[in-house]
Amino acid sequence: MGFSFVLLLLAVSAGIEENVHEHTLKNGLKVLVYVDSSAPVASVNAYYRLGSYDEQPGHTGLSHMLEHMSFKRTDIYRPGDFDRILDSAGAHNNGFTSTFFTGYFENFASDRWELGLRLEAARMGRCVFPDSEFESERRVVAEERRLRENDPGSVLWEQFESAALLANPQRNPTIGWSDDIRRFTVQDVRDWYVKYYNPANAVLVVAGDVDPEEVRAKAEQHFGRFKGKPVTRRDYYGIEPRQTGERRVVVRRKVLMPAMLVAFHSPGARDSLCYAGDVAAHVIGAGRSSRLHRRLVVEQGLATNVGAWNSVETDPGLFYIYVTPKAESLIPLIERAVEGEIERLGKEPPTDREMERVKNNVLAQAFYSRDDAAGIARFMARSHILFGDWRHFLIERERLAAVTKKEVIEFCRRFLVPDNRTTGLLLPEER
Amino acid sequence: MRNAYSLRLTAYGRKPCPALFLSPFWLLAFGLWLLTSSAFALPLFRDSLPNGLIILTYEDHRLPIADFALVCRSGAAFDPAGGEGTADLAADLLMRGTSTMPGDSVSGLIELLGAQMRSGADYDAANVTLRCLAKDADRILDLLSDAVLHPAFDQKEFNRARDRALIDARSSLDEPSEVVDYEYNRLLFGTHRYALPASGDTGSLRTLARDDVVRFHQTHFRPNNCFVVAVGDIDREKLVRAIEDRLGSWAPGPVPTPEPPSPAFTERIRVKLITRPDMNQSYVEFGHPGTSMLDEDMLATRIMAYVLGGGALSSRMGVAVREQAGLAYDVRCWFDRRTLAGAFRATVQTTDPKTAIRKMMDEVRLMRDSGATRAELLKAHNYYTGSFPLTYSSNRGKLRETWQLELYRFGLDWLETFPDKVRAVALADIEKAARDHLRPGHYLIVVLGNVTRDDLGLADVEWIE
Repeated sequence: MGFSFVLLLLAVSAGIEENVHEHTLKNGLKVLVYVDSSAPVASVNAYYRLGSYDEQPGHTGLSHMLEHMSFKRTDIYRPGDFDRILDSAGAHNNGFTSTFFTGYFENFASDRWELGLRLEAARMGRCVFPDSEFESERRVVAEERRLRENDPGSVLWEQFESAALLANPQRNPTIGWSDDIRRFTVQDVRDWYVKYYNPANAVLVVAGDVDPEEVRAKAEQHFGRFKGKPVTRRDYYGIEPRQTGERRVVVRRKVLMPAMLVAFHSPGARDSLCYAGDVAAHVIGAGRSSRLHRRLVVEQGLATNVGAWNSVETDPGLFYIYVTPKAESLIPLIERAVEGEIERLGKEPPTDREMERVKNNVLAQAFYSRDDAAGIARFMARSHILFGDWRHFLIERERLAAVTKKEVIEFCRRFLVPDNRTTGLLLPEER
Repeated sequence: MRNAYSLRLTAYGRKPCPALFLSPFWLLAFGLWLLTSSAFALPLFRDSLPNGLIILTYEDHRLPIADFALVCRSGAAFDPAGGEGTADLAADLLMRGTSTMPGDSVSGLIELLGAQMRSGADYDAANVTLRCLAKDADRILDLLSDAVLHPAFDQKEFNRARDRALIDARSSLDEPSEVVDYEYNRLLFGTHRYALPASGDTGSLRTLARDDVVRFHQTHFRPNNCFVVAVGDIDREKLVRAIEDRLGSWAPGPVPTPEPPSPAFTERIRVKLITRPDMNQSYVEFGHPGTSMLDEDMLATRIMAYVLGGGALSSRMGVAVREQAGLAYDVRCWFDRRTLAGAFRATVQTTDPKTAIRKMMDEVRLMRDSGATRAELLKAHNYYTGSFPLTYSSNRGKLRETWQLELYRFGLDWLETFPDKVRAVALADIEKAARDHLRPGHYLIVVLGNVTRDDLGLADVEWIE
């Protein structure tokens, strides 16, 4: 790494770190404040360490259902109040559920951020779930689920991940399997809420044009009353059964165009080679300069789009490649080309120019990310929930920028091998 | 613009993606914000070159980054008949090679610098946007000006871009919502350009040739028909000089005007049913001809639509269809944002289309007959007023809003006068907008799903075969 590059990257990190204020309430709620007074806006984020990863068979989608229900009723708010109050305040807000966490955010003009704390506190400790309000919302979630079932790309994705992962709960769709959505009860939602929604299992991040001392005082006022019940951190699910041969998933639907996904088991962030996977993905499939784009789109004309990325989570995950073939008949050629480029990267290191491209992108992205305080808040919340340290997204950039050519080759040789591969194909129905 | 085929679905929001159909309201709120905040005086300037090129600059030195957009006022609405998709392809190909730099070298340099580039066209404009570190701004401007003045439109690059557009057009018809939208536009707009997607369809794209794109560029990419927006860590005076150095020799020329659409309101409800036995949900789109962004009552119309079905879960449609009845995850309505009059659209995806359509139509009729309440109007004002700083706080937001401001020729004083314009929108204006622009009983309805005509319970309608 060049000296000036390192200094610039560290400068970006320092520019964030010096503006972050940390505090932990007695009940265990972590409060993080990122001060950025360059625009009169503020973002309130409450994240819980709860996602589809925590769900048991038969109860997939329960975390997502809880997220929906948490907007309904508390002991002081009625259904519809959250949206009415936030719309009237000009807030952009939403909630989302992912594999590893559930998050809620409200972005405001900076003079009204306390409203976000008041509502998130109500959500954390004062929700009630009347039987009468459950069925209607379950129907909404079922309709949301059907949207995925009618989208061929989503169906491929869902079945592909379930085939690539056998033991890890990441194999389940976050929204849940449709039969599970039909089956769980309002009592399941209540139990899930009591177990997971508490200050010791959450992080509150406020970012923007705010006074950190005021945020701290208001956090104490609104959240301090709740009792913290530390949730035993879920066990690391461990390593998948070793894959000893390629798996293939074929989804046939009424579609005009095929699609192709390829994945390899890859190490999680605990493994020193994890970030070499990110660099490999960049070299193989990021942008028009990438090797696969040049080969499949420019030189051979077999496909119109390619891409690659590596999942960086606490658990081992997957390294992904996607391709949009021009025709189903070209898929065997595409598969050979993908395999060929991967083999090549396992033998020939990335060029100096490719490594420079990766590092320049890391640096540029670091600057671009600061354009939006709400974006920094999301990074911080995710880092804290996943890794127990809000700084982890800054550390990730440094690790990524420090990857060597040798590590990229080693990653390819260890992980991007045929026996570790799952291929997913979306194909037109057979006539 | 074309996006990579995205299959990653790890997170599910409780709300559908927020509608961004009402962007000019951010300007409204921003005006209010300006009046109450001396700390954030707007460093927005508009300069012009002798050849007619307009340059809008917004200095923001928080970060060492810069965002640029080159916008051509001729979008897909200017595509020739039978050549639908030309504007989109022309913009796409601008950054795929010049007379002195092959396409691979252009994309290679952009990616080497860590810069980001997008290009494409909607109905109103063709554009190229670039984001870079400020230290690289000169190199990016070199690329952009070379692309506009000396695009190669290399035959191989053209073939690749057209192939991709064709496959994207085919892929889009694998998504039920796209099929419904395609049919709705085709039936509503007939022979007008709005009948087909801005990026064209498989029929038009198949016949496009390189010469079509070259002709479009020569006709429409003229300095007197374009403007540049620059936001971020830039110096206005230096930037204007830099652009004049690069684009001052660009020759102006005459630019044609597009044909306005003339879709007719039908005398009775017309319904197109597309039967798909493989679906477990029906996709619905209904509406009728809409309004223009340049209409005098544009603000009142959009506030009215926000109350009716634009405010996601808290709109009238959202409450009736989703919150109270649990019939759908996403329900909404809006008026197209276009220079020429577009469409009014209401959409829903549900297993009970009969009830959902009825409830949505009831809400339209109620709005048409009674307008909004005082509380609804106040909420709408508060929403757009309060949320405006969010959309304008980032460089990307500044770029987007400045671009819209110039495209629809609101003028820079629009920002100062906007608060008054908004305050002037009274309940009577909402009622008038509803009366003038909502036409219950004159709908075009498109339904796709595993349902029969009887399942929809629509009486006294004309079925479209």
